[in-house]
Amino acid sequence: MARMIGLRLLKLVPVLFLVSLATFFIVDLVPGDPARAALGPDATEAQYEAVRQELGLDASLVERYVDWIGSALTGDLGNSLIKPGFTVTELISLALPITLQLAIMGMLIALFVSLPLAIVAAYREGTAVDRFTNGLTAAFISIPGFLAGLLLAYLFVFQPEVPRYAWLALGLAVACGMFLTAARRVGDDLGRNVALWILAGLVAIGVTLLVFANFPSFPRTGFVRLTSERGVLDNLRSAFLPALTISISQIAVFTRLLRSDLIATLQEDFILSAKAKGMTPRHILWREALRPSSFSLITLAGVSFGNAIGGTVIVESIFGIQGVGRLIVNDGVIPGDYPIVQGGVLVIAVFYVVVNLLVDVSYVYLDPRIRRG
Amino acid sequence: MAALLLPLGAVVLWIALGAITDPTALRLAVAVVGLVAMYFGIDAIAKRLVSPTFETDFWLSAGWLVLVVLLAVFADLLPLAEARDPSLTLTQPSRERPDLFSSHPLGTDSQALDILGGVIYGARVSLQVSLIAVTVGTVIGGLIGVTSGYFRGKLDGGVGILTDTLLAFPPLIFLLAVVTAFEPGVITISLALALLGIPTYTRLARANTLAFAQREFVLAARALGAKPGRIILRELVPNVVRPLLSYSFIIVAVLIVAEASLSFLGVGIQRPTPTWGNMIAAGQGQLETTPHVVFVPGAVMFITVFCLNRVGDKARAAWDPKQSAL
Repeated sequence: MARMIGLRLLKLVPVLFLVSLATFFIVDLVPGDPARAALGPDATEAQYEAVRQELGLDASLVERYVDWIGSALTGDLGNSLIKPGFTVTELISLALPITLQLAIMGMLIALFVSLPLAIVAAYREGTAVDRFTNGLTAAFISIPGFLAGLLLAYLFVFQPEVPRYAWLALGLAVACGMFLTAARRVGDDLGRNVALWILAGLVAIGVTLLVFANFPSFPRTGFVRLTSERGVLDNLRSAFLPALTISISQIAVFTRLLRSDLIATLQEDFILSAKAKGMTPRHILWREALRPSSFSLITLAGVSFGNAIGGTVIVESIFGIQGVGRLIVNDGVIPGDYPIVQGGVLVIAVFYVVVNLLVDVSYVYLDPRIRRG
Repeated sequence: MAALLLPLGAVVLWIALGAITDPTALRLAVAVVGLVAMYFGIDAIAKRLVSPTFETDFWLSAGWLVLVVLLAVFADLLPLAEARDPSLTLTQPSRERPDLFSSHPLGTDSQALDILGGVIYGARVSLQVSLIAVTVGTVIGGLIGVTSGYFRGKLDGGVGILTDTLLAFPPLIFLLAVVTAFEPGVITISLALALLGIPTYTRLARANTLAFAQREFVLAARALGAKPGRIILRELVPNVVRPLLSYSFIIVAVLIVAEASLSFLGVGIQRPTPTWGNMIAAGQGQLETTPHVVFVPGAVMFITVFCLNRVGDKARAAWDPKQSAL
């Protein structure tokens, strides 16, 4: 296994090298003059020349690449052209934690929603619940990220009554489902289970009403850092809508994949034997079927975590959050501040490659068939 | 019985569009009820008349796509209100709400430009860009993939590393880096998107080639003395093309969203050329007062992407041997 991981790491080296090369040269093709971007249009020719020399733009391409990658390896990504006194490393290290928090929260929401959805859909394959889930995921996959973000912003910020009552309806429906389950089990089940379902229903109603009464208001723009003195609650409030936006498409892909894997697993002999032993559906689904069905979900979760880090550009732009994506677009691409673009793209690409490597490694670790092979 | 839902739904929809004027939420809710009823009505009628396994949603999706393509192609012949040049709309009402029975059926934006016209011209840009990109991507990526899959060895290893590199960039970040370097226009955006699609097509073509290269007809061609160029072009490419093309619908959907995302971020195709992305971006400042400027183009884009995905799923199931084997 160590050898396998070593091989994967070795394959990573040329890819990372080419990634850095591509980042460096794509941006180097920019037609605009970096000196002009730094000083504005009103400086004299001598001043432009001085800046060009200071930036080392008169050196050869190879020299400049070696110089850039050399300092990048020591954590120095150069200076911003336009924001004087800021190094790119500083700017990125301010922005990266925000982007990471959004990506992680988005993925947690997606897993939290898609696990139960996929399990119910797989268990009741072909029924109305399953078809509803299929339609829902097909719709979620087709919503472009920025549209989902604007829709959520419109509903939660400008029409807060709509999500508030939707929440009430959803909570009451779930509670009703729990009471119905309790009622159906009165005759044929142990009394303890009935009491448990009634209790769960009451808790669901309580939580629903509590949130309904204190429905939080979400900010349209801005972000409160986790470390700021305004506290964790403000941070979560400002991160909720962006994270929900990220999770929409993930909910769809996670649910689809897990559903089809679960359906395949539920055909296996060991599920039949568990049923024959009289195990409850809950035990079969959560304890027996979920684990062997979750391998490809883990792979996908890793891949889409990498995607989410790249995709936060959109979300950050909608909700006015100063993460890495917005840094690249608003401070890099639009004003032509190329060290920021180079540094930002390099950091995200390296992150993406490393996350994908970790996913491959975890896959090897989790699935014994690959480990031996 | 269920067929009655069609006229019933049509009446409900008509009430929502014409008779009720306020509030918007009620209108939308009633309209959705009407549309759903119409869908089930059409479904019932088609299942009765054509065949019990008629896939209504697929044919409706295909119909929508045909409609979008036709509108985009014949946009110049349609009696549309001005949608591109704000200097011609000075006398028109701005921020008009959608009203299907007026001269601006889908409303106007803050510059009094017609949204229906913008959506149709935007469809033209989206289709142009994504079709050019898919064509270029299929041809280049497909040829690279077939060649490297046939010869294997060092060439295959090198191509593998290159595709890994291109795929190492998150798609949007990759596009951002490319558009930093070039002026955004239909051609440059198309080529940037093609570059995004090439590694995917290369992988698909390579995987399919590996399967076909083992088959007897390739061996027979080689035994007859065919040169590698002939085997690739006459034996492998015709077989690989179909599974490759079956992914086109889904990739077009992805590219439409990618193009719109770039326009939305303000680094894609710029006004006065309307695109779905830049129309949505222009409206997001007044999201609270005139949400239709954002959500009308948004809805058209959502429906188009949804239909492309639906048709693409069916195309893949029908044409991709790996999919149909499952």
